[in-house]
Amino acid sequence: MSSDETEITYFRRASRWKYIVILLIAALVAIIIVSLNVGYAQISFGKILAILGKQVPLLDSIVDSSLILPSEAAIILQIRLPRIIAGVVVGAALAASGVVYQGVFRNPMADSYVLGVSAGAACGASFSILFGAGFSFFGLRIVQVAAFVGALFAMFLVYNISRVGSRVPVTTLLLCGIAVNFFLYSIVALLEVIAGDELHAIVFWLIGGFSNVLWSDIWAVFPFIAVGISISYFYARSLNLLAMGEETAQHLGLNVERVKQTLLVLASLVTAAAVSLSGLVGFVGLMVPHVTRLVVGPDHRILFPASTMIGAIFLVICDALARVVATPFASTLELPVGIITMLFGAPFFILLFRKKKESYAL
Amino acid sequence: MDRNYIILTVVIIAAIVCGVIIYSFYSGQTAQQLETLQNLVDDTNYVTSLDSIPEKIISLAPSTTEILFALGLDEKVVAVSDYCNYPYDFSAWIADGNMSSIGSFDAPNMEVIASLDPDLILGTSGVQGATAETLRNLDYKVLILNPPNIAGVMQNIELVGNATGKTAEAATLINNLNSRIDTVMNTVASAESTPSVYYEVWYDATSLWTAGSKAWQNELIEIAGGVNIFADQELEYFQSSAEAVIERNPDIILLPAQGMGFGEPFWGSLDDVKARPGWSTTSAVQNEGLVQVDSDTIARAGPRVADIIEDLAEAFHPELY
Repeated sequence: MSSDETEITYFRRASRWKYIVILLIAALVAIIIVSLNVGYAQISFGKILAILGKQVPLLDSIVDSSLILPSEAAIILQIRLPRIIAGVVVGAALAASGVVYQGVFRNPMADSYVLGVSAGAACGASFSILFGAGFSFFGLRIVQVAAFVGALFAMFLVYNISRVGSRVPVTTLLLCGIAVNFFLYSIVALLEVIAGDELHAIVFWLIGGFSNVLWSDIWAVFPFIAVGISISYFYARSLNLLAMGEETAQHLGLNVERVKQTLLVLASLVTAAAVSLSGLVGFVGLMVPHVTRLVVGPDHRILFPASTMIGAIFLVICDALARVVATPFASTLELPVGIITMLFGAPFFILLFRKKKESYAL
Repeated sequence: MDRNYIILTVVIIAAIVCGVIIYSFYSGQTAQQLETLQNLVDDTNYVTSLDSIPEKIISLAPSTTEILFALGLDEKVVAVSDYCNYPYDFSAWIADGNMSSIGSFDAPNMEVIASLDPDLILGTSGVQGATAETLRNLDYKVLILNPPNIAGVMQNIELVGNATGKTAEAATLINNLNSRIDTVMNTVASAESTPSVYYEVWYDATSLWTAGSKAWQNELIEIAGGVNIFADQELEYFQSSAEAVIERNPDIILLPAQGMGFGEPFWGSLDDVKARPGWSTTSAVQNEGLVQVDSDTIARAGPRVADIIEDLAEAFHPELY
């Protein structure tokens, strides 16, 4: 293939990618609007628009808000909207870090929790639930702060144990990640045994969810996630090179160790921030990158942004489902979102995979 | 001489007659006592019979411990769970060696139970179901109490009374509890309003849990002259949403707080509850309707049922008290 042809194919692909990204952004906005309508309280779409319009500086004088009850405004602005935005932020973070981990490890089993981040966060959260009652950290929930610190600590531990000289071989990283995960989960189990009345708090945190999330909880993690995802995006080409093998990538001029280490730190930071907000919501970081790969192909320049957006869409849909799927049994019954991500995500993934397995490549 | 023989014969006959009468009297009573020990049916419909009045009793659950002590069986209870904290601070007794601990409520220590060689074990179902089965396989006498409602608590008290030879005490306790509950019902019958009540089981950033119509607390709230805002949900305890609470707009928010424990409750402080996003629109927050209740008393289906009903009625209808 001559270099002209390569360039032409690239431009053709790039324009297709542009459409994919525009389509996904449109889908995300649509899903957010639809899910604003989903919930126990029956609030008409017109009212929702009026409630939202009231918040926009110039629009607020035009909007007629006389029919809106204070409770309806509170439900939309302080309960549904924060939890939808939390879904966007957490879903995007877990999916983006999942792509990075799978790319760096060149392992389809890698997910956002592979470096012990989940166990570290669980450990930090459990400790703070048992021993940190009543404390707060610059107005943030102590559990959130402790989970974040625990996650970073676990990553630091895994990273340093697996380091051989200045290199961090992926096999050692994976194995150390597994070992540290087991070790930290055993501490969580130990804390659960002595927890007594606090056991509920630990168990609910481990199941994960963000039903009663506050705006301040979201703002606390948003910078980490936004910056982490943005910087990682510029490493998409490097991830493509890494996919050919570390040695080949090195020969092609990539500073493999440096790129790997930067990406792992960024992905862990992003995951830690997400987990501190939502608890352990499973499956997003593993499945979404695979589903996206099946749809857009393995090139990280599109795989990374598309996964990020599909992760956000997926978690917002799952949280909306969590609010309504059980209502035929009892009108106010909700399910934990972590159950929905797996209950609906796994069969969907299997279906898609069976259809496309011949052409699938990591 | 003859007279002496006659007197001696009379005395001997009298003694034998007395002996027979006394023996038959006592044996009759023992037989009567034993009758209540036969065919004891527990809440899982398991039928147990005891050979004699139990001398060593182990209680695996806080609610069963409360029943045993309410019946005056203080001397016979040899071990309780680490969760049992009423009517005494058993952790201090255990530390002093005056009581044994069977460990945690959900994982009782079998070796401790076996070493105490109990005549009767009381527990509850759910997490203790498997424990009960194991203990029965080891030939221990086990009664499982899991009353679905207040009538069930009364039946439990009667059952434990029968199993421990405290039939009369159980009847007295049941009468006392029933009359106190009746008094509350008569009092709140004259109330002009029925406040709507939200009973909070759990709230944190991840989820909100409450009680539906099948929960024990639903009946307590009703008898105390309130109505559970989730009474239309045919569930026991379940995850719901803050928006459902706000939409249903409770007059009273019941917040369980540990009376004898330590630390902060899961809901933080009353100000934290008032500051929850959107909750300021509820009648409870606007009209001082946040009520703290003892988390143990409201959760345990035991002999403190009248206490909690009286507390709730007073909170729902302060104008009547």
